[in-house]
Amino acid sequence: MITRRRLGRRDLGRGAAGLAAAALGAGTLAAPAIAQRRGGEVVIAQQAQPPSLDAATSSAQSSRNITLHIFETLFARDEAGNPMPDLAEGVNVSADGLTYTFPLRRGVKFHNGKVMTSADVKASLERYGRVGASAAIMRPVDAIETPDSNTVVVRLKEPSPGFIAGISSPRAPCAIIPAEEAAKAAGQIEIIGTGPFRFVEYRPDSHVKLARFEDYTQNTNFQARDGFGGRKTAYFDTVTIRFVPEAGARTAGLQTGELHVLEALAVPAAQRLRGDRNIRTYEMMPWAFQTLMLNHAQAPTANLAFRRALQAALDMEEIMAISTDGLFRLTHGWQHPGTTYFAGDVGKELYNLKDANRARALLREANYRGEEFIILTDSSFSNHKAAGEVAAEQLKAVGINVRLNVVDWPTAFNQRTRREGWHMWVLMFGIEPYEGPFNVVGFFSGQAPIQHERDPVIEDANRRLNTSLSEADRRQAVADFQRRMYDHAIAIKCGDVGIVQATRANIANYRPYRIPRMWDCWFT
Amino acid sequence: MLRYTLGRLLSAIPVLAVVSLVSFAIIALVPGDMASEMAGPSATAEELARLRAELGLDKPILERMVEWYGALLRGDLGQSVLLRRSVSEAILERLPVTLGLTFLALGFAIVLGVLAGMVAAVRANTWTDQGVMALALIGLSLPDFWLGLVFIWAFAVKLGWLPTGGYVPLAEDPLGWLRAMAMPAAALALTQMGLLARMTRASMLEVLRQDYVRTARAKGLPGWVVVGRHAGANVLVPVITVAGVSVGILLGGAVVIEQVFALPGVGRLIIGAIQRRDYPVIQGGLLLTATIFVLVNLVVDLLYAAVDPRVRYGR
Repeated sequence: MITRRRLGRRDLGRGAAGLAAAALGAGTLAAPAIAQRRGGEVVIAQQAQPPSLDAATSSAQSSRNITLHIFETLFARDEAGNPMPDLAEGVNVSADGLTYTFPLRRGVKFHNGKVMTSADVKASLERYGRVGASAAIMRPVDAIETPDSNTVVVRLKEPSPGFIAGISSPRAPCAIIPAEEAAKAAGQIEIIGTGPFRFVEYRPDSHVKLARFEDYTQNTNFQARDGFGGRKTAYFDTVTIRFVPEAGARTAGLQTGELHVLEALAVPAAQRLRGDRNIRTYEMMPWAFQTLMLNHAQAPTANLAFRRALQAALDMEEIMAISTDGLFRLTHGWQHPGTTYFAGDVGKELYNLKDANRARALLREANYRGEEFIILTDSSFSNHKAAGEVAAEQLKAVGINVRLNVVDWPTAFNQRTRREGWHMWVLMFGIEPYEGPFNVVGFFSGQAPIQHERDPVIEDANRRLNTSLSEADRRQAVADFQRRMYDHAIAIKCGDVGIVQATRANIANYRPYRIPRMWDCWFT
Repeated sequence: MLRYTLGRLLSAIPVLAVVSLVSFAIIALVPGDMASEMAGPSATAEELARLRAELGLDKPILERMVEWYGALLRGDLGQSVLLRRSVSEAILERLPVTLGLTFLALGFAIVLGVLAGMVAAVRANTWTDQGVMALALIGLSLPDFWLGLVFIWAFAVKLGWLPTGGYVPLAEDPLGWLRAMAMPAAALALTQMGLLARMTRASMLEVLRQDYVRTARAKGLPGWVVVGRHAGANVLVPVITVAGVSVGILLGGAVVIEQVFALPGVGRLIIGAIQRRDYPVIQGGLLLTATIFVLVNLVVDLLYAAVDPRVRYGR
């Protein structure tokens, strides 16, 4: 007999990371006092066009900006980043952590008019295991059963405390789609979800257009929007997401009123527009980690003393100030402060040392003879390039023979999977810290860790994080991971990066989040 | 003439074959693929391998090359997984945008450039001449992407006359099309306008010194007839040569201008395909560009015969 315990929202919040999103000029979660107005055609601009609208298969920001308006998941993330039920009423987890029973919300309709059943959920979860961009979250699943049309039971082979965190993540959403679509290959589905907006058209290199789904089934378990979940209300008739690659053109479009919402606004532009009564800007901190990944498979970074010399030499304030145009905070943690798994001051004594003498002493200890040190970065993301350039100058100043290799993003991405050709890779780590500790720790462990050499302490921390049913044990695992990251200079964290989102002033009740959400806001 | 044209078209085949072969080889050497783009930065090696297999990117390069050429012989440029359509469809959808932009810019450049050059030549060594040539030099020196941004600031943000970007199909709304294309075409045209103005002035000055022009003036023809009809017709050959070269330059410039003004043209398609490593689209786009260059050169050569009775082909 299985002993069951019902997980409430509070329990789930503790089971995953939380995220404190600070916003200026943001509304509150409670129902707004100002009158809502239906109607209008809102236009968002984003830099890139989505590689796919098949939500499960893409972890690109440009995809989820769009797909999370169309698709929903069994569990979503709340405003603080904690998992919360969305298409599921909740979840019952057996005492041994092997059985997850999801009662589904009833009467939820897909955009094609069909009512969602457990068969659709089962097919969607199974498809995610085949084609999902984060398919590893389904690896512990042994079987998925549908005892009735409104219940889904997921049986795991081994306990997986990160399972709910995984299926609720917006990274590559584990979207629930009609069973007949779930049989199709990656990128081949019709874009049919259960979300507040339905897909209308996709004109590549131009825009995606969505329209309000009139038969949308609100989640009445909640009073208002909450992160990606809660009670969502669509007010706009249509949402058009335009792809505008040039930052200056996006800003100009916002100024003229052709564009109503920008997913991101450059900090200098935000400062310039501060006095414009027609525009509102919203700062969001933290958005991502700025990091410097290290390749342990090659000399000189294979040498611990050399890696410690890098750690000692760098001035994080300078790197962050230049690469973020001033929107940053200096934090050492490999989880965001205020979240469940934040490990406090662990490793803080080794963060932001900016001690050139110590660095030179460590270089002597490492017997460094001026071997070439390659910093791999890309010009596709301006902060990657700037952070690489500043780090390069700081490391040259302590006597390291640095070669800065600036390529485009796909090239850098490909290069980092190789054991040779790079020593340091500049990466802004965005969605993973928001998701919690699982993908952050996982990035440095497993069969192909980013540093290319498995570290026994990190492997053990990852194992404990992914198998222990005790939250205290999992938190200790994350603290041990963070201790090792600093003691062995596995990789280097520079700080937290923020972003600015912007809207026209006539958009009411907008609140910045991981995507520009177009539900629960309206034209005044 | 027909024989000459057919001969030129046939001689384009090896040119295009070499272009496609070289581009295939270059693309094969560039690191990265569309699986990386789709999977995101924290994808594991295992996830990437699975996605590559799903997209058919794990096949050897030679096998992919044979498949591509086989399809090409059947007139099929392949499929874009990311765009969910055939490459031919993707290109044909965007071709009107790029051709519209290029030829509108060419129209601006020829009309205004030739006119400015003729005025400068007729008023040679006056303030008008100096002013026109100074403007032409400025036009030649300014990068088109920078001009594009300045135009957006001036005509969209400050004056509010034109949209900051985006595209309206000509068939849907001709005025909207012109409003959307005016700034990008002007930004693109300015360099070529300067070039054409300088070149027209030089040719016109030479023509104006010819005996037949002196004769035309001596027999009392009005000045505009002498300049516009007698001299102007003889300036056409060098203008056509420069205009032919300009089409190529404008097509190249359109790649950048389409980015600045968010126009969904072929240039943006190719840039996006390069960023996403969408191989079939890159291949198809390059082949199309090479074909356009070959055709433009052919048209220019044929136009020589049309405007200059001394030029004859076919023997």
